[in-house]
Amino acid sequence: MKRASFGCALALMVSSIVPLFAHHSPAAFDRTKEVTLKGTVKEFRWQNPHTWIELNVPDGKGKTVLWGVELTSPTYLVRAGWKSNIIKPGDQVTVIVNPVRTGEPAGIFRKLILADGRELTERPARLGTPDSK
Amino acid sequence: MRLSRTAVTIVTIASMAAACNTAPAARPAPAPDSTASPEEPGKQLSALAPENIAKTRPRAPFDVTGNWFIDVTENPDAWRFGPPYPELTAAAQVHFDASQLAAKEGKVYRDDIGQCWPAGLPLIMTRYWPMAMIQIPTAVYMVSGFMNSLRIVYLDGRSHTDPDIIVRTFNGESIGRWDGDTLVVDTIGFRADHHWMDQGGASIPAGEQLHIVERITSINDGKQLEIEYTMTDPEHWKGEWKSTKRFNRVNDEDIQEVSCLPDLNEHLQSTTSKVQVR
Repeated sequence: MKRASFGCALALMVSSIVPLFAHHSPAAFDRTKEVTLKGTVKEFRWQNPHTWIELNVPDGKGKTVLWGVELTSPTYLVRAGWKSNIIKPGDQVTVIVNPVRTGEPAGIFRKLILADGRELTERPARLGTPDSK
Repeated sequence: MRLSRTAVTIVTIASMAAACNTAPAARPAPAPDSTASPEEPGKQLSALAPENIAKTRPRAPFDVTGNWFIDVTENPDAWRFGPPYPELTAAAQVHFDASQLAAKEGKVYRDDIGQCWPAGLPLIMTRYWPMAMIQIPTAVYMVSGFMNSLRIVYLDGRSHTDPDIIVRTFNGESIGRWDGDTLVVDTIGFRADHHWMDQGGASIPAGEQLHIVERITSINDGKQLEIEYTMTDPEHWKGEWKSTKRFNRVNDEDIQEVSCLPDLNEHLQSTTSKVQVR
């Protein structure tokens, strides 16, 4: 698979969410960069420990690149207003991710923008404190 | 509808715990003053055997039953057991240094948890997932929201299993006893491969000699648990490695069925990325 270039924008930013909910190390992701992906949902898997989105993104050269986007567990997505049917295969969406450091087409989720303009994010993986309610 | 094995186990244990906690005065006559099986003298009774549960024991100073989540209010890195780290042996230093180098290069050193190996003790206690605990007179059953990892702390007076027959595990074998208002838990019998004390640039292996003592107290009117960890492993560090953690009671969330299934990492490219150092 080729790395998507068209339709992707990089921006410096500082992470405010430490993805320790993950079953894997977060160090694979470059938290100083954002990539904006505009594409078509291939799969949205609502499951533990991670939800994921597979997104076909045009590369601007007549081909599409399949991106894998890793999200937190449904526990925290529900707290942020998500539902299991909020997106489905074929939907046109925009997803902002922190990419993996190697340039491979994969990233950890930052924001979803639906076709109607609604925006969805995650809640920090934290329970048992006032800010987790 | 088919219930998962974990769900059935939890419901069974919870029912038993409720029975134990709500009707202590109505219990039948106490069992013989032993945790040994009457059918097979010398054989340990199960912690869930009615005769074992019904044995007369001093009332537990507190009950840890509930869902608990590591307190990261002040420090998001509070899940880690260092720094400070103890003085490492050469066997551990090589891994620590390699993980530091990998971190500087933006890589991930031997992230076995990410490859679906169990986190193991102590890290399983402080993952950013709730830990369900169910206390009965003979044991505390812990099920982590992270991969439903099971940990059992026996309170029925048994001794550690003979080292020649113990089955080494990532959470080890935990034996608890009450010391005043403190629950003291002694854990040995760890599996050493793919088992780490820390990660993310501070990879320190856990060995078969790992010995963890936890002193658990209930604080803040039962809203928090405080656990003082004292950990030794002469293969990997010198002296005692100490750390104190607090856990917040979670009343608005239950653990769920969570598994590291074969298709998980197939869809999470970061776990198979070139950034991973094996």
